[in-house]
Amino acid sequence: MNPKAAKFVLPALIVVVLAIPLFVTVPYYLHIMFMIFLLATMGLGWNLIGGYGAQLSLGHSVFFAIGAYTAVLFVVYKRLTPLVGGVIGMALAVVAAVIIGLPCFRLRGPYFALATIASGEITRTLLLHFKDFTAGANGVPIPFHGNDPLFLQFSSKAEYYYLALLLLAVVFMIVRTMERAKIGRYLAAVREDQDAAESLGVKTAWVKMAAFMLSAVIVAACGVLYAFTVGYIDPDSVASVDLSIQIAVVVIVGGIGTLWGPILGAAVIVLLTELTNMYLGAVRGGASLVLYGILLIVVILVKPNGLISLFDRFWPKKQVAHGTTA
Amino acid sequence: MNPTIFVQTTLNGLMVGGVYALVAVGLTLIFGVMKIVNFAQGEFVMLGMYVSWMLATFARISPYPGLLIVGAVMYALGYLVFKFLIIRVIGKPDEAFILLTLGLSIVLQNLVLVIFGAEYFSVDTPIKDKAFHMAGLSLSVPRLIAFVVALLMVTALTIMLNKTDLGRAMRATSESREVATLLGINPTKCFTIAFAIGIVLAGIAGVLLTPMFYVFPGVGTLFNLTAFVVVVLGGMGSVPGALLGGLIIGVVEALSSTYISLDLAQLFTFLIFLAVLFLRPSGLFGEAAK
Repeated sequence: MNPKAAKFVLPALIVVVLAIPLFVTVPYYLHIMFMIFLLATMGLGWNLIGGYGAQLSLGHSVFFAIGAYTAVLFVVYKRLTPLVGGVIGMALAVVAAVIIGLPCFRLRGPYFALATIASGEITRTLLLHFKDFTAGANGVPIPFHGNDPLFLQFSSKAEYYYLALLLLAVVFMIVRTMERAKIGRYLAAVREDQDAAESLGVKTAWVKMAAFMLSAVIVAACGVLYAFTVGYIDPDSVASVDLSIQIAVVVIVGGIGTLWGPILGAAVIVLLTELTNMYLGAVRGGASLVLYGILLIVVILVKPNGLISLFDRFWPKKQVAHGTTA
Repeated sequence: MNPTIFVQTTLNGLMVGGVYALVAVGLTLIFGVMKIVNFAQGEFVMLGMYVSWMLATFARISPYPGLLIVGAVMYALGYLVFKFLIIRVIGKPDEAFILLTLGLSIVLQNLVLVIFGAEYFSVDTPIKDKAFHMAGLSLSVPRLIAFVVALLMVTALTIMLNKTDLGRAMRATSESREVATLLGINPTKCFTIAFAIGIVLAGIAGVLLTPMFYVFPGVGTLFNLTAFVVVVLGGMGSVPGALLGGLIIGVVEALSSTYISLDLAQLFTFLIFLAVLFLRPSGLFGEAAK
């Protein structure tokens, strides 16, 4: 593909994605697309700290769960619209990010990853324990209002599809702007050599915290949207280690520290999982996750820069990989 | 507070703690020598349980005599995993190890799910429900055996690391790979053996657990997280630390589930974990103690 043709790919892609719900009405297919958008958005958010900042967080389910539970519980107890409850949830996710980040950012390498896993498990344990408030392992069904946009309830899947697409587009633009702004370069400096960055006057602690807080807000927003799309949340679906790992894996498979990597990774992983479930699920559960694990291993061993690096030669100049282009 | 219940709970905690220690010792050996955290350690415990279950079901070999067979199978498995996967990420950043072993744990867990299904299996042994009774206390035989075997394995490993050429070579490699190479030690060989032994220890822990736990694909995740906690508490790379850490976590879990709440037991384990990470990241026995 020459650079001229590449220019047409993006607008064409946007048109196709916008038009899909006009032609596809099977809820299941729209839900697959919804999950791709949602995971891609979470991946973009995770990438801020996990990719650009190189802090391998395996605890992002904390923010997802806080977003989902806050918005849902406000509806259940106070009949407060999730448009407000969701914003409160996002604010609480920032608070959680500070509480987790302050001590954890002093840790490096495997210690940081382990501490974030522990934060996720503590959140899940607390959600399970305070049954009177959170309904514990039974989970919380969202009261049905009929077609009520104020409560994020729609009669068709298409609305959720467009909401997820909108969220993805907004987050994509935010991350794209950040990547090119000062903070993006500071993060790159932290990733390359934390001590050197510090000695050059970069406030590494503050840079990491800012990225972590923004990353938490994005993932919390995804949690809110997920909860109201599915209509039911429980600790295993919104606060599990598996979810935290999946958010990270999407980015790593797609291309860590790149803008398009999380989107490619989400598409590959969701399609791989859903297609295997469709064709092999009836035979045995687990087959799709075997492939998912193998994909992760192969990427780590063969394409450490992610599947996006397969496309490197198609781009006119080096893709924004590693955030080094101005 | 009823003193008998307290002593009984502590005793149960110590017995389980011995098995935690065994899982953690494998993890800490691999970390100590290779500086990598094996996120699939719990899955090797799970595989040990399945091999033990298969021996019992299809060959009528009960878990304890089956220990040697499981040990041999796990050594071979550890060797292969090292040769085909782990060796390729040595010298790469920490993230590569973490993600590779995470991927491995997802594959192993779900491969077992595909092959054996999600059923819960149990292994019957004649001593399964036997227990010693004394002064109002009871001590289940499978737990006692697990505890004693765990202690024996940890002792054997300590002797191996301190008194044999292989053990000294491993410790030298762990101190400095370059210097060890200059001294004529083959670091790759040390890494291979250390990794395989770590996997054997996980497998043996699995065998010891089969009379007490159901065998199912997700059982390893229970031990994965606990093993991390134990290793960090004892000090990454420290064998005596892993033993002491295992016993402490076993007792803390037992006491908190008896006296506070069954579903908060894990919470205390994780809080201890975070406290150690933040206050004393080198753990009880520090980096220097090997």
